[in-house]
Amino acid sequence: MAGKFRRVALVFVVVWVTDWRKLSRNKGVLVTSVLPETRGTVGPPPPFDPELGAALAVIGEQLPSALTAEMIEPMRAGSVLADVSDEELARDGAFTVVRRGVPGPAGDPDVELLILTPTGHNTALPGIYHTHGGGMVIGNNRTGIEAMQDWAAEVPSVIVSVEYRLAPEHPHPAPVEDCYAGLVWTFEHAAELGIDPERIVIAGASAGGGLAAGVALLARDRGGPALFGQMLLCPMIDDRNDTPSAIQMAGRGVWDRTANDTGWTALLGAARGGSEVSPYAAPARATDLSNLPPAFIDVGSAETFRDEDVAYASRIWQAGGQAELHVWPGGFHGFDLMVPQAAISVEARAARVRWLKRLLGA
Amino acid sequence: MKDLAVRLAALDPDAGAALRVIAYFDRLTEARAGLQTIVRGAAVLAGCPARLTDDPHRIQVRVQPDGASSPAGEPDPAWMSAPVGGATLWLERPGPPGPVEAMVLERASAAAKAILDRTRRQADPALSELVIDATAAEPLRLQAAARLGHKPTDRVRAIALDDGTAVLLPESAGPPPATRAGIGPTGPVASLPESWAAARIALRFTAEGTEQDPGRRIVHADDLGGLALLATAVTPGSEPIPDVRALERAAATTPWMLTTLDAVAETASLRAAATALRVHHSTLQDRLAHAIPVLGWDVRDPRGRLRLQLALALRRLHRSRH
Repeated sequence: MAGKFRRVALVFVVVWVTDWRKLSRNKGVLVTSVLPETRGTVGPPPPFDPELGAALAVIGEQLPSALTAEMIEPMRAGSVLADVSDEELARDGAFTVVRRGVPGPAGDPDVELLILTPTGHNTALPGIYHTHGGGMVIGNNRTGIEAMQDWAAEVPSVIVSVEYRLAPEHPHPAPVEDCYAGLVWTFEHAAELGIDPERIVIAGASAGGGLAAGVALLARDRGGPALFGQMLLCPMIDDRNDTPSAIQMAGRGVWDRTANDTGWTALLGAARGGSEVSPYAAPARATDLSNLPPAFIDVGSAETFRDEDVAYASRIWQAGGQAELHVWPGGFHGFDLMVPQAAISVEARAARVRWLKRLLGA
Repeated sequence: MKDLAVRLAALDPDAGAALRVIAYFDRLTEARAGLQTIVRGAAVLAGCPARLTDDPHRIQVRVQPDGASSPAGEPDPAWMSAPVGGATLWLERPGPPGPVEAMVLERASAAAKAILDRTRRQADPALSELVIDATAAEPLRLQAAARLGHKPTDRVRAIALDDGTAVLLPESAGPPPATRAGIGPTGPVASLPESWAAARIALRFTAEGTEQDPGRRIVHADDLGGLALLATAVTPGSEPIPDVRALERAAATTPWMLTTLDAVAETASLRAAATALRVHHSTLQDRLAHAIPVLGWDVRDPRGRLRLQLALALRRLHRSRH
């Protein structure tokens, strides 16, 4: 199973980063906005898991913790090369692969859905609606999809992965509205897709986790599709970027505070961190977390998103909701993708499948 | 890390890749990672299964390049390997190693050796032998014990293994190893020589636990009581008493003889003996009807059972290599 994740790691590590080396030589590093100070004192960063730390020592020099706006274009150029092909997605006939253009938000272009259907099932299956990661600025609807296929191999499900418009060319609300439009279409055409509309789980990692949480809030507030669950994997949900974990991990690990600032500023522009940010863009801003579908949230203890993700789970419980929270000790952002063989990565992936099995009764 | 391995191979093998391998295992060693993690690192970085074998200690760790552990058959001598003290680290691919593989072997074996040295400090033969040596002065013994991590006030015991080696275990340690062993009494560090002497006697009362040598594989000196005195009566070359010869004669008549007599000696009643042997009560009666004339005494009454117990104990003392 681990092998299926490598390509994601490749996108993340190799391509994003080789270009950074080139860029870093011209020293004109853009700081896109001024990061606020946080009140109170913050201790030293928590240590990385030994195995993850050793891997980071090796890949670290090629993988900058901080990403800036000028790195976005080269990353996109690189990530295309690493796309997984239709043939690979088919996994020797285990899945049929279909791409469909479906209506986007009113007045906007269509969105492309990549639909992977496990073969050999004649009853309606659960649906996994996937919002991909990539800091809101890169990636496409194939990014990270192989992890979903690994889940579907254990819990038969139809995977629908949405291609949304990326920031900064398309700032909020374009990405989350595209994702929502694709979900509405999927829900309405569930029968045609072989999906049980009552058992659609939305899932995403990193920025995709933030979008998944945002779509779940939209669906609740608009009386839209009733989601059966939300899988928020190390989700990016707080544009304020000032939690103790964001500060502790600045300059360390993967997707540090500067990288986070780059992503949020691309999505929100000058509004980032201000008082007018929509909860659909940054779900940590939501004041009401009641009546949401059961959540699975995981995050590493040594990453920027730790505190915002833990707080999100706590607030769901406080609002009377259901959430399962995993904080993997010494995990950096995306550790299970980049170091798939590590013992802690194996456990993190297994926990997700166990939750899905429990939720879907598979 | 698989990507990492691919890129390591693609990099200039003389410089960058080697440095990264060094960095990887250095970090694992600093973080006191375990053997499994070291072997996994070797498998992932080399891109082939890796294993650590240590036959005397019955250690075998094998990891595939995808990180999964899996057992396998015997190592192929043609594979690349590096010694790790008395153990061996293997990369399951025929040699000779390329520059990156050579670096993986060197650094992974060094990291594994650091772990084995750390975890086996207790088994350092010179120190352990000094601590249990009755002829060594007490201050010397206490000093050696301190280097093994034992304070003078610690409660420890000596364990005598069948291979002649000594193991020291704190009172709080869990059950002793599954190998054949005599366990000495617990006491302060200064009385370890006495614990060791008692452990060695207890070892002589152990059995293989087989049909031809039934009995306990682990014997506690504390449980021997007066039996321990018997040990002094049996020396190399001493003649077995007639009851022991009778036992041997009986054993030669049928394979179930010794296990049956051992069960009768070790259990509280014939019914319990039949249960332990998983035979019907009447079967046991038949067997004893066969055994008693060969032995020459009735093992069913209390005095006969004591005589049987003594004969079995003496037989073990005679058979013991220690």
